[in-house]
Amino acid sequence: MSAAAGKYLTFFLGAEEYGMAILAVHEIIGVLPITRVPRTPPFVRGVINLRGRVISILDLRRKFDLPAVDPGPTSCIIVVAAHAAHVGLLVDRVSEVADIAAGDIEPPPPLGGGVQTDYLVGIAKSAVRVRLLLDISRVIDAGDLAAAGPDGGAPTAA
Amino acid sequence: MPPASRRTSRAILARFSELSAAIGRLGVSDLETRGALRAGVLGLIDQMPARDARACVSLRLVAEALRQDRDRGDRQPALHQAARALLDAVRTYRASAKAPDRLSVIEAPERSIIAIMRNLPEASPALKPRTSDLIGLTDRRPRSVVARAESLPALALPNDTDRALLGDFCDEAREYIESAEAALLVLEREPDDGDAAQTVMRAFHSIKGTAGFLKLDGLVALAHHGESLLGERRRRDGFAGRVAALSLRALDALRDTVKNLDASRGGAPLAYPPGFLEVLRELEVLGAEPGAPAVEDAGPRVASAPAPSDAAATHSARVRLDRLDALVDIVGELVVAHWMIAQDPASGHDHPELARKVAHAGKLVRDLHDMSMGLRMVPLRGTCNKLVRLARDLAQRAGKQVACRVEGEMTELDRNMVELVADPLMHMVRNAIDHGIELPEERAAQGKPAAGCLTLRATQMNGQVVVALHDDGRGLQRDRILARAEARGLVRAGEVLSDTDVLDLIFAPGLSTAQQVTDVSGRGVGMDVVRRNIQALHGRVDVESTPGQGTTITLRVPLTLAITDGMLVRVGDERYIVPTTNVVVSFRPERSALFTVGGRGEMVRLRHDVLPLVRLHRLLDVHGASEDPTAALLMVVGAGERRCALLVDAIVGQQQVVAKPVTAGIGDVPGISGAAILGDGRVGLILDVPQMLELARHAQPNAQAVA
Repeated sequence: MSAAAGKYLTFFLGAEEYGMAILAVHEIIGVLPITRVPRTPPFVRGVINLRGRVISILDLRRKFDLPAVDPGPTSCIIVVAAHAAHVGLLVDRVSEVADIAAGDIEPPPPLGGGVQTDYLVGIAKSAVRVRLLLDISRVIDAGDLAAAGPDGGAPTAA
Repeated sequence: MPPASRRTSRAILARFSELSAAIGRLGVSDLETRGALRAGVLGLIDQMPARDARACVSLRLVAEALRQDRDRGDRQPALHQAARALLDAVRTYRASAKAPDRLSVIEAPERSIIAIMRNLPEASPALKPRTSDLIGLTDRRPRSVVARAESLPALALPNDTDRALLGDFCDEAREYIESAEAALLVLEREPDDGDAAQTVMRAFHSIKGTAGFLKLDGLVALAHHGESLLGERRRRDGFAGRVAALSLRALDALRDTVKNLDASRGGAPLAYPPGFLEVLRELEVLGAEPGAPAVEDAGPRVASAPAPSDAAATHSARVRLDRLDALVDIVGELVVAHWMIAQDPASGHDHPELARKVAHAGKLVRDLHDMSMGLRMVPLRGTCNKLVRLARDLAQRAGKQVACRVEGEMTELDRNMVELVADPLMHMVRNAIDHGIELPEERAAQGKPAAGCLTLRATQMNGQVVVALHDDGRGLQRDRILARAEARGLVRAGEVLSDTDVLDLIFAPGLSTAQQVTDVSGRGVGMDVVRRNIQALHGRVDVESTPGQGTTITLRVPLTLAITDGMLVRVGDERYIVPTTNVVVSFRPERSALFTVGGRGEMVRLRHDVLPLVRLHRLLDVHGASEDPTAALLMVVGAGERRCALLVDAIVGQQQVVAKPVTAGIGDVPGISGAAILGDGRVGLILDVPQMLELARHAQPNAQAVA
């Protein structure tokens, strides 16, 4: 499946700009105190209290094997609805809501090696920048998370 | 009855009469009028008091029948159905509203409806209604139209089935089945109890009616024969032997089919449960009646005699469970939120006026909380009935005689909890019948009455529900348990154990003292599962037994799972909640009480016990926690032979918390049973102590010591 044209919420992880379909986004909140959950993979940052609801926070940097950093002043949690639950995604900075036209979207390039690119569904190119479009429900694949096991190993490809 | 309510029921009964007259006047191709009529029926549903859920279901059937005209060619059956459903509706309404049987201003609506049904023109052969449509429609209809077991098609729902209606049907059928089961148990004791028999017949009859509408031919046939079995056959042969046994099996088959139907709404494949056809075949033989009409004939007398369950339903409303859960959840949060305000220094000593207001609000919040918890409370009666039924079946199969006594069946427990304790209780009943109660001749030889006595007693105390199951059988045999435990390597030969410790061994995995394995129990997967399940509910299981006099097994579970009483402990700079029911004692050990086994497995001595020491910070991978037990705290957790001492930095306090799932987006986390919002607004994780011990067993070299 490749990415469809439409509105995307874009955000930064380091120097890379990513986009996710706006429809998946529930809300954007500042970073709240996170409670670590033991025996979970490293990309599971922990859980927070979102107005009385306990939701899990995934660190997208760790998920994408980027160098881990502590949340800074621009860090945000993007709350998305996936697999009938809400999950928070920790990102460095939220950028904008961009209208991306079909003509600007290219299929993802084949990335060799062990890089997991299931959730990379397209690349949006404009004159000034390149944005990596994500299928957020694949990023938060519940089955993947369960398979990751308590020792923190990387999700095993089925 | 207060005048206002009498006016309401008069108005509604009048409306029923108008509707029935309008249905009677309907022409075959009168689609527009039917639309208007359908709107009228839906309007009446809105007028009906909320308590008349069953009558509303019947009215929805009327509306549905009127709608079906448009979608199908055969119009006549739909009219019959509409009229019959209306008849059901008015009868259930009358029964639940306790409306007067005769009102001078209104001709009894039932009569007018029946008259209209008789006057409806017969359908042409081409439009001949499906047989099940007409079952029980009027007493003039031929009875031979019930589907036969040998030619029964596979269980299937028509494509145009209204899913909401199916859901209502399943709910309603379950209620009927439950009341019928209770009534059957009454009949066993009092075979001549006419009211009980009527309750069962009414259950079959009502299920038959709606099942016919849903085109569930098999259910219609089963319910139909079940009704005749309880009616004609019982009156002739009495309620005993095959009639009694078959009635219960028919009810089981109904229940299983309804369960499958309900599951099919979630996408499960639909099929008759195993054994359905056999039961139906037997019913066809035994229930075959000499053209005897069933409940329908009894007319208004039956309909107006309210069943016990109707009386309860009169003052209750049906609420969707997820809404109720959400309400209880939010109120739980409100309790915590209020606690946070009350803890805030700003509302403390400096502002006595504010403090008083906060305290007042606190009282209201607690009342609200108690009340909201009460909403989800249901009596244990349903579970008790099932257990009595199970005991009876098992005893019969084992050739034993058992009299069951139930005390405190109205003790209430959180609905979710009731479902979770049912399985452990069933295990216990199986054990009691299979191992506890002796055969009649054995009992007689010991001077006991031939029939054993099984007592189920439920009480509520200190926020816990205590369910005790007592049998007056042979009791647990200490020597045999010990021998078995030694053979399995659970205790060392020659080890001296107290009686309590020996009895406690029955909860060890893999221990079964049954001399022969039966199909019921004795496979060694009984009591350890019971204990595990009850511990998972933050509860406890204890056993007492006197040889020759019997055994008592006692379950203690909290009233609800929604609120957990917890000890908040600090490990490093993290905090965790340990359910209070898991905590035996906490202490700071002397250096001399600590020792190691084989240089690695750490142990601690507490009075006469030796317990494995589990470093919680290692299991939870916390850095910077206290490493020295003599400078920290040991918390003894677990029960029976699975105790161990958890090393924590300190106990922060005791707190009631609202347990929430933590799995969303992460999957199950071993050792963590849930999460809760703490006083400072942060999330605290609730430890799953039994799982934690399991983890410790695998992580530590002194594995046997923990086991």
